[in-house]
Amino acid sequence: MDPTPTPDSSADPKTAPVQLALRGIRKSFQAKAGPVPVLDGLSFDIHERDFVSIIGPSGCGKTTVFNVIAGLLEPDAGTMLFRGRPVPGLRGRVGYMMQKDLLFPWRTVLQNVMLGLEMKGTDPREATDTARRYLAQFGLGGFENAYPKTLSGGMRQRAALIRTLIMDPDILLLDEPFSALDYQTRLYLEGVLLDAVERFGKTVVLVTHDIDEAVALSKRVVVLGGRPSRVKNVHAIELGDRSPIGARSDPRFSEYFHTLCGELDIQTRAGSASTARAEAA
Amino acid sequence: MTTHALKSAAAPEAERPAALRRGPGPLARAVDTTLGRGLIQAAAVAVFFAAWEIAVDAGWLTEFLVGAPSGIWRVFRASLMDGSLAVDTWYTLVEAILGFVIGTALGSLAGLGLWYSVLVARVVEPFIVAINSVPKIALAPIVILWFGTGFVSKVALAVSLTALVALIAAYQAARDADPDLQALMASMGATKNRIFRSVIVPSTLPAIIGMFRINIGFALVGAVVGEFISSQRGLGHLIYNASSLYDLNTVWVGLFVLMFVGFVLYHVIDVVERRILPWRQVSTAGGIQV
Ligand SMILES: Nc1ncnc2c1ncn2[C@@H]1O[C@H](COP(=O)(O)OP(=O)(O)OP(=O)(O)O)[C@@H](O)[C@H]1O
Ligand SMILES: [Mg+2]
Repeated sequence: MDPTPTPDSSADPKTAPVQLALRGIRKSFQAKAGPVPVLDGLSFDIHERDFVSIIGPSGCGKTTVFNVIAGLLEPDAGTMLFRGRPVPGLRGRVGYMMQKDLLFPWRTVLQNVMLGLEMKGTDPREATDTARRYLAQFGLGGFENAYPKTLSGGMRQRAALIRTLIMDPDILLLDEPFSALDYQTRLYLEGVLLDAVERFGKTVVLVTHDIDEAVALSKRVVVLGGRPSRVKNVHAIELGDRSPIGARSDPRFSEYFHTLCGELDIQTRAGSASTARAEAA
Repeated sequence: MTTHALKSAAAPEAERPAALRRGPGPLARAVDTTLGRGLIQAAAVAVFFAAWEIAVDAGWLTEFLVGAPSGIWRVFRASLMDGSLAVDTWYTLVEAILGFVIGTALGSLAGLGLWYSVLVARVVEPFIVAINSVPKIALAPIVILWFGTGFVSKVALAVSLTALVALIAAYQAARDADPDLQALMASMGATKNRIFRSVIVPSTLPAIIGMFRINIGFALVGAVVGEFISSQRGLGHLIYNASSLYDLNTVWVGLFVLMFVGFVLYHVIDVVERRILPWRQVSTAGGIQV
């Protein structure tokens, strides 16, 4: 699946080869009053086996970036390089978990989760076994035959997350995957996610509004800002223990947390930016 | 007594939002069972026919112009005994069902097919609208001209009435299918055919089955009008013939049997719907009364 990575490539993202490079991505949407620019020449790299979080204020274009990467939206300008080769988008190579918990209402939970395996032509019996195993691990055992309409928001979100993970794609694009969950379930599932991507050597790009989550899970954090958006900064997160709880207890955790908070503040309250910086330092 | 305690505790709160208090009262809830509803419906029918019969007996209505329940019953029994009613019903039923199946299938497939090409859909849209705005029953004389006075022309007429309804319903439903589900499939690398099978078909099914109900009615209209114009058999033939002889009781027999046929077919579709769309019956807000 991953042809090139060196054995220790997961240890240091900076030495891992670049898997996906975005170069000068621009995108504007047509509104009644004329085109509204959203992305203003976005460039950043995603390494093999990387875990990148994208943070930025609401409406800054995080979902738009995902749609571009997934090949659902064509950028107005800019290129994407997948393992060095220009690609129009990564259709079929990504597992995209959309921001809204998008389940097929006419499929049961089990059938929803199995969608990706079905498309790959996996043997149905094997697919069912795998799906049941995932459902149990994510606390959805016993809901195999329920229809999405009868689930709670958090359960739907978990089902959508399983559907994305189970497909086993090269890159996972997760748009606020934990936003509908209570803190306890969230910490647990963050752990499950980290384990899964570590074990199978997956690349994850995560959009989140939770800075805490971004720091705890990521190897790198991309901060978007401005209107239209550009990449404000990319932070490498170096914590000893990358487990949800372990990371949060690391002394450097709060340092990163404050830096990122300060950086996000700059776009909303220009005046307090310097104080936030000072606090973080 | 718990309920009593609860009630008295709740009493001072009479100003609660209306939405929380609404829903059926105790009497409505007691009567609202299959048996209770059936009894009310049967009583309504009995009162209606009794009033009709009494009005004819008393001379308030002329039997010659409106018929009478007793006369209708006599005609019904006689035509049932000699088997003619069954034959007429069978003819109309087969014409309508064939017309329904062919028209609905052709229309639905064409309508869904338009999803594949936005260009084709946009080009043909004005033509569909134009053709649809013709009262299709006005085509009946031509259809009879083309397909003769027999069985086939009735089916053809039913097809002409149902096909366009099906096409428009299917096309609109396909156009309204959730774009996010399609995008999700596309991101997984699904082909257009795959998206059609996995998203378009299932998400249009509720609208298509809803359209079945309308089309059952149209198919019956097609069969009966075809029989009005020229035929030797069928409920339309029965009604048309009898009315030209001022035999109102026979006309009513034909009408009531048609009503019954339509009623049964409608419920067949209900059953089909429940079988095909189990997911439509559920919701987290399912039991809430408003
Ligand atoms: N299809 C569209 N047509 C027009 N405008 C759009 C469209 N999609 C997104 N936009 C606009 O682009 C901007 C960025 O949207 P996007 O959904 O990418 O934001 P986001 O960063 O994901 O926000 P959030 O954190 O709230 O999810 C918004 O101002 C939005 O109104
Ligand atoms: Mg978003």
